[in-house]
Amino acid sequence: MSELLEELGREVQIGEVNRVKELISRAIDQGLTAMDILEKSLRPAMEEVGRKFETLEIYLPEMLQAADAMTAGVEILRPYLASGGGEQRKGRIILGTVQGDVHKIGKDIVRIMLEGAGFEVFDLGHDVSVSTFVEKAEELQPDIVGMSALMTTTMQNIPRVMSALEDSGLRQKMKVIVGGAPVLPEWAEEIGADGYGENAVEAVNISKKLVG
Amino acid sequence: MIDFWEVVNRSDNGEMLAEGEFDRRVGRVAREVTKKYDIKYNPEVVIPSDDSLPDRLFDAAVEFFLEVGVYCTDTGRVMKFDKKELFDALEAGVNQIVWGEGRDQRVQRNRKVEDSRPPFCNFTLVGTPYSEETFLQAAMSAAKEPLADCFSAGSLLHTLGGIEVRSGSPIEVEAAIWDLGKRREAARRVGHPGKGMYTMVSAAEKADAMIAAARPEFGALARDGVLCGAIAEMKVDYDRMKKVPFLRRTTYTIGGLYGPLMGGYAGGPEGTSMVLVAHHFLGRLVFETEYSCCFPIEIHETCNTTRRMLWLVSTAHQALARNTHLLHFANTFIAAGPCTEMACYELIAHGITAAVSGSDLSPAAVARNRHPERCTGMEGRICAEAAHSATRMGLSRKDANDLVKKILPKYEDKISEAPVGKTISECYDMERVEPNQEYLDLYERIKKEVSSMGLVYPSMDRV
Repeated sequence: MSELLEELGREVQIGEVNRVKELISRAIDQGLTAMDILEKSLRPAMEEVGRKFETLEIYLPEMLQAADAMTAGVEILRPYLASGGGEQRKGRIILGTVQGDVHKIGKDIVRIMLEGAGFEVFDLGHDVSVSTFVEKAEELQPDIVGMSALMTTTMQNIPRVMSALEDSGLRQKMKVIVGGAPVLPEWAEEIGADGYGENAVEAVNISKKLVG
Repeated sequence: MIDFWEVVNRSDNGEMLAEGEFDRRVGRVAREVTKKYDIKYNPEVVIPSDDSLPDRLFDAAVEFFLEVGVYCTDTGRVMKFDKKELFDALEAGVNQIVWGEGRDQRVQRNRKVEDSRPPFCNFTLVGTPYSEETFLQAAMSAAKEPLADCFSAGSLLHTLGGIEVRSGSPIEVEAAIWDLGKRREAARRVGHPGKGMYTMVSAAEKADAMIAAARPEFGALARDGVLCGAIAEMKVDYDRMKKVPFLRRTTYTIGGLYGPLMGGYAGGPEGTSMVLVAHHFLGRLVFETEYSCCFPIEIHETCNTTRRMLWLVSTAHQALARNTHLLHFANTFIAAGPCTEMACYELIAHGITAAVSGSDLSPAAVARNRHPERCTGMEGRICAEAAHSATRMGLSRKDANDLVKKILPKYEDKISEAPVGKTISECYDMERVEPNQEYLDLYERIKKEVSSMGLVYPSMDRV
């Protein structure tokens, strides 16, 4: 049984979508619960992928393939998870690169790793306006709002979003985490962010801590 | 050469594709072609001297570009080009640029691998943020350096006249005009009024602000440069393309700005080196570029002085130097901050690598290009002096490889914990705009050490 979960984890790591589907079906046939498959195989596999990416044993294309395999696996498990009371998420996060900024690679990496760690992530994309952040925060009621900027001329939009969340009465209901090349921890503290991540691993760790 | 409006037409009528799918395509095709052309990173050969490797890399880049194309994020379409269009565009590229005016005029000419002529050097602060109070002195520190054939400055930290500088707002236009004016003032203040500017403005992200600032009465000279950036990897948008109809009706020099991330969508050093070459095809076809600023960086370390990044820099620039007559600058990105031993080693290693690989040189982004006020003209000096020295002593790629491999152990294991170093105010005499004695002594000590490893600094043993 554990061998099957180990094999499944290996296939997730190398992004073999069809093999992942096949092994999940077999695991369910053998009586494993969807939650066990998710928590004991898929998520640890994605955490390992994140670790390997951080040490550059693998690169972003391999990470994307693994994420696709994980997503395909979760799709199969979803009905089983629902009947068992639903997938247990660590928390809900909305994520975006702020207005005026077209850079998205860092934010994409953070999204993949947060999803792998069990968060429900809504990616708003890049060049996201202040009003979109507020509307989505209102609509989705996330635990965390994550913002990224790559330039000094766009990072100013981070405190603007925070201020707009404050004005809408939402700021106290959710945490704010920030990151991106020009964003330094002192500045994050200065603007009143709840968390700062210099990289994707830090972003995941701080998110876990904040919803802890 | 293909007309710009045909390029725009293709951005409207090319294959429709989701951006995420395009990103995956980049990774898949990069992996396939680097395997097909047998492109392999070898940590023992940081600066390859086997000519067939850069030639295969160039061929791989051509195949990759023809298959993948260029993605327009505004339309969600892929612009494709054929081989004839690509090579027509490469042939039509200029092989020299005249920068600046009068006594400060310099000519940049296409270099070859192991060229006997030193690299043309742009001293830049690469958008490092400075306060209004220090911006001018920082720009002066770059403009006054003797080896700076042209120069560029930093960016503004947060505010101008107490108003927040924000992209897309009216203040962005004001900041862009202010930025250009200060750059030209810096050149005048240091006695080089006609020194060419590699890029006029760092304070403007949007095309409208850049276009508004680019006027002679604000400080622009006829052949000053404007950079058009690709969005990593192999993407453009309309805001960047908007610069082209304006620029082609001016005398300004059009530069391409390419910063593929090693570890990102193109994969490892092999794929990213190949994609850096392919970005030059994008630049010629979409932006009609005359020169390029290449700043590939390692995704986690935000620098290009690690072992695999130096390999990437060398192979990509060798591929361009051996197979095109384009003008391409290697933009130095280091992890350590000013006035540190580690910064000196990084700068010297990168300068030597670029010099023998056929590129021109654009030093330097310092302290990972993210710490305000931590970048000075002195880092440019350290990098450019190493590059000039390597060229003047006729260093071969093989000998350069041996030398760089002696320098790498001095810093490569410490990259992740690189010191942020000192701000310009801490390591310069800000009244004279000169590096302070501590910084000069540090550099002299490292110079002696590197000299003992085999780099011959002209005149060093005569003073």
